[in-house]
Amino acid sequence: MAAYVFRRTLQAIPILFGVAVIVFMIVQLAPGSPIDRFRTPRVSPAQLEALTRLYGLDQPILDQFVKWITAFVQVWRRDAWGYSTLDGQPVLASVLERVPATLRLMGLSLLVTIVVAVPIGVLAAVKQYSWTDKIITTLATIGYAIPSFILGIYVLYFGGVVLKMFPLFGMESLGRGGGDIFDLAWHLVLPVTSLAIQQIAGWARYMRSSMLEVLHQDYVRTAKAKGLPRARVLGKHALRNALIPIVTLLGLSIPALLAGAAITEFIFSYPGLGQYFVQAVGVRDYPVVLALTMVGGLTVVLGNLLADVLYGVVDPRIKY
Amino acid sequence: MTNAVDAGDVGLLELRDLKTHFFTQDGTVRAVDGVTFEIRDGQTLGVVGESGCGKSITAMSVLRLIERPGRIIGGEVLLRGKNVLNYSDQEMRDVRGNQISMIFQEPMTSLNPVYTCGDQIAEAVELHEAISRREAWGRAIEMLAQVGIPEPARRAKQYPHQMSGGMRQRVMIAMALSTNPELLIADEPTTALDVTIQAQILELMKALRERNKMAIMLITHDLGVVAEMADEVVVMYSGKVFERADALTIFEQPHNPYTRGLLASIPRLGDKRERLEVIRGVVPNPLNLPTGCLFKRRCPYAMPVCDTPPPVRQVKAGHISRCWLTPESEPPSIGADAPPEVAEAAAQELTVAGR
Repeated sequence: MAAYVFRRTLQAIPILFGVAVIVFMIVQLAPGSPIDRFRTPRVSPAQLEALTRLYGLDQPILDQFVKWITAFVQVWRRDAWGYSTLDGQPVLASVLERVPATLRLMGLSLLVTIVVAVPIGVLAAVKQYSWTDKIITTLATIGYAIPSFILGIYVLYFGGVVLKMFPLFGMESLGRGGGDIFDLAWHLVLPVTSLAIQQIAGWARYMRSSMLEVLHQDYVRTAKAKGLPRARVLGKHALRNALIPIVTLLGLSIPALLAGAAITEFIFSYPGLGQYFVQAVGVRDYPVVLALTMVGGLTVVLGNLLADVLYGVVDPRIKY
Repeated sequence: MTNAVDAGDVGLLELRDLKTHFFTQDGTVRAVDGVTFEIRDGQTLGVVGESGCGKSITAMSVLRLIERPGRIIGGEVLLRGKNVLNYSDQEMRDVRGNQISMIFQEPMTSLNPVYTCGDQIAEAVELHEAISRREAWGRAIEMLAQVGIPEPARRAKQYPHQMSGGMRQRVMIAMALSTNPELLIADEPTTALDVTIQAQILELMKALRERNKMAIMLITHDLGVVAEMADEVVVMYSGKVFERADALTIFEQPHNPYTRGLLASIPRLGDKRERLEVIRGVVPNPLNLPTGCLFKRRCPYAMPVCDTPPPVRQVKAGHISRCWLTPESEPPSIGADAPPEVAEAAAQELTVAGR
């Protein structure tokens, strides 16, 4: 197992390098540049040119890339990921500062998603074609189809404006910083709900189809023929097998969750990586966009590795 | 529930006019349509027929394992004289895996891949007997030894994928027999196995049958297996019993043209024929069954009278056949050259006499 993880980690290096090349190209190809926000009638062309030189944007692309990637891998240095062109702070420090907030949001959403989606999916599968199933499937399709920015705004409106029960923005109340758990949780309710609704929809459908497949397996019939009560047949023999593909989904859904978190964080002004990213894209803050896209790529690689490792843990047929 | 063994002339299992139909969107499939037979204690009954003739559905109906869109719509399944179709779910669970155990055709997929073999056997024992987990595990190992698995203690801790198909079928048998059932329903237990393993499994079942004094309902399309194992044989076709007799009669003096066809299609060593003998045609579409005799389109003896459903005749004591042909061993004495009305009148008469 350790050898397998080590091998996979080595394999990740060329993959991440490829991601770096593509990401760098895309950022270059995208219209606009970090100095665009200075382009006003009061800024002279000479000053703009000086800025361009300052950021090194006048250099050949290859040189820029080499310079960036060489610095980027030296993560032990404070300035490894460069400085934001917006606030001039070191990007690495800013990212690390925001990681816990995003992890909290993602982790809680994932937890809520699993706790809600698994039973719903099982229920829909066990009662296939019933009204319960139809209602669950319809709601899941709707939940899946709503774009995250619309859903986020509605959740914010309902929870914050109509009910007036939850805060409209932020991670903690002003002046109460310092990790008051209840305050943090209170601020997390709406973003977590918004993020979880989208995830639950997809997961419930996966769970339903996975369970349906298992319910028609021969070993489920064997379990029934043994005289096991229905709850044991479903809970022990069917569910355990139906969860195997779902566990894989767990690893694969982490990048999707991160992407969903970007929009959600932005809507709820939640100071995590997502909000940081959306803001940076808006002003073409190259170092931040590059750094966060690489973090995203790393998440995909790690998520896949996690999925494969978990697969080996839950399925005795898989050995590494 | 394992009581009332001293039940005199009350048979172990008796099916009376059992009907299991499937209500699909395309129409009703009469998978089992009026099946009647019985199994006595310690007896081995072979149920034979082509794929789709309803033999597996009959077995599943006995344990009430039929799933939607299928439903048992009529008849009785008498276990020691009591109709299990009226049992509560709880009573039914006490029958399953305890009084009646079942093993299936596909040993490769019939065991749960995520639990160890020992665990799956112990589960059955624990469920039906008031014993501890440890004792149940001990029984599992004992059963694995009984079915001829070497190093049972080590094998019990293995997962199904670590065993071959033959081994897995042995595990299935061990699981089925762990609660000492009175009846074992074996649904094509050797079909998925290669011939040497088939022979081993059949030998094993025979040995365990003697030791445990249990009855077996052996479902198969392999007449060789029937010849090897069965005391009595039921031949099914399109959901109905076409012939029933003791094994020797079925092989030596079959009456029904379908049974004859089945027997004729067994390839024999030393035959110099170019082509195998086959029954012409295919099983009728269950959604669109012919009127009259279900076998008439494929039957070499088909006659006009076969457009009317054939009677169930008693050929001799303990030997019945669903056919217009008369009980004489050499057919056909009616219908061949007589006009249909005459044949039918004659046949009706014979039916009455036969009953």
